[in-house]
Amino acid sequence: MKIAVFVSFLVVLGLFIFATQVPVTLTEDEVAKAVTEASSESEAPVDEDLLAQAVQLSVEKLEKAQSTRLKYLVSAYLVIWLVFILYVLHLERKQQELDKRLAQLEQESDQ
Amino acid sequence: MKIIGIITAILVFISLYLVFGYARVEGTMLEVQKIFYYHVSAALTVFVAFGVNCVFSIKYLIQRKPKDDLLAVAAAELGLVFCTIALLSGPIWARYAWNTWWNWEARLTSTLVLWLMYVGYFILRSALEGDKRRLYSAVLGIIAYLDVPIVYYAVDIWHGGLHPDRGTKWNLETTMRQTWMVALLALIMLFVLLLIVRYRMKKAEARYEIIRQKYLSEVS
Repeated sequence: MKIAVFVSFLVVLGLFIFATQVPVTLTEDEVAKAVTEASSESEAPVDEDLLAQAVQLSVEKLEKAQSTRLKYLVSAYLVIWLVFILYVLHLERKQQELDKRLAQLEQESDQ
Repeated sequence: MKIIGIITAILVFISLYLVFGYARVEGTMLEVQKIFYYHVSAALTVFVAFGVNCVFSIKYLIQRKPKDDLLAVAAAELGLVFCTIALLSGPIWARYAWNTWWNWEARLTSTLVLWLMYVGYFILRSALEGDKRRLYSAVLGIIAYLDVPIVYYAVDIWHGGLHPDRGTKWNLETTMRQTWMVALLALIMLFVLLLIVRYRMKKAEARYEIIRQKYLSEVS
């Protein structure tokens, strides 16, 4: 059981590392393509550089917001598993104490 | 117990996969909403754990079997663990959703009172010995359980709190409801597994005390 809790903790920890690294998947090429398409469809004259800059800024903002949300999410799961792990460790310690006391009692009764 | 352990481990892994990889991302809270699956499941497991404590406390008062007291105390201990989880994961949700870590609204306050009452249960147990300890803690266990319906119906009794209505969680989108059901089952199985482990340990401790007392009386 202890192993299962630890493995789960590692899974969540892995997810934390993974999740905080996930960017909003938009490459510079994709941004450039979207800007060209938008400006060709537009009837009014469009400043492509300004538009590309605005899109890039939006992507950065989205990335930051997503990263914040993922930090909240994974922090909550880390706290949950941390409580379980601490409780299991507490049980383990109690069991060890009891084993020790039993061994001591056996030794005393043998003498 | 080994089978329960394996089933629990599988359920926990499946539930974690469902939470992170299967359940649809909710539209308002986005990824943060996924805290719900374990937070609400832990809160419901608290009701089960303290319910077990209440049942065995009543049983103890009727039959006066030490075995019932051991089961009651094991369930109370686990209830406290799950309540701590609910109380710690809640503020993380609250910080994002309500822009505050804590709010003295009805459900949060009554849950904190519930947690404090069971902390009191253990303080009382540590202060007393023998039959007195079993008797008084059984009475306190029953009284403390009266707070559980207050926690559950808090949003109906005191309107205007931050928690949504009780029915909201049942109206989830299919993938979200399935994920929540599996997470709830995983935590209840984890509770059952830990309850068995803790009860066996308590039983062993009680047996050790009997043997020790016998040995000491023989020696003297």
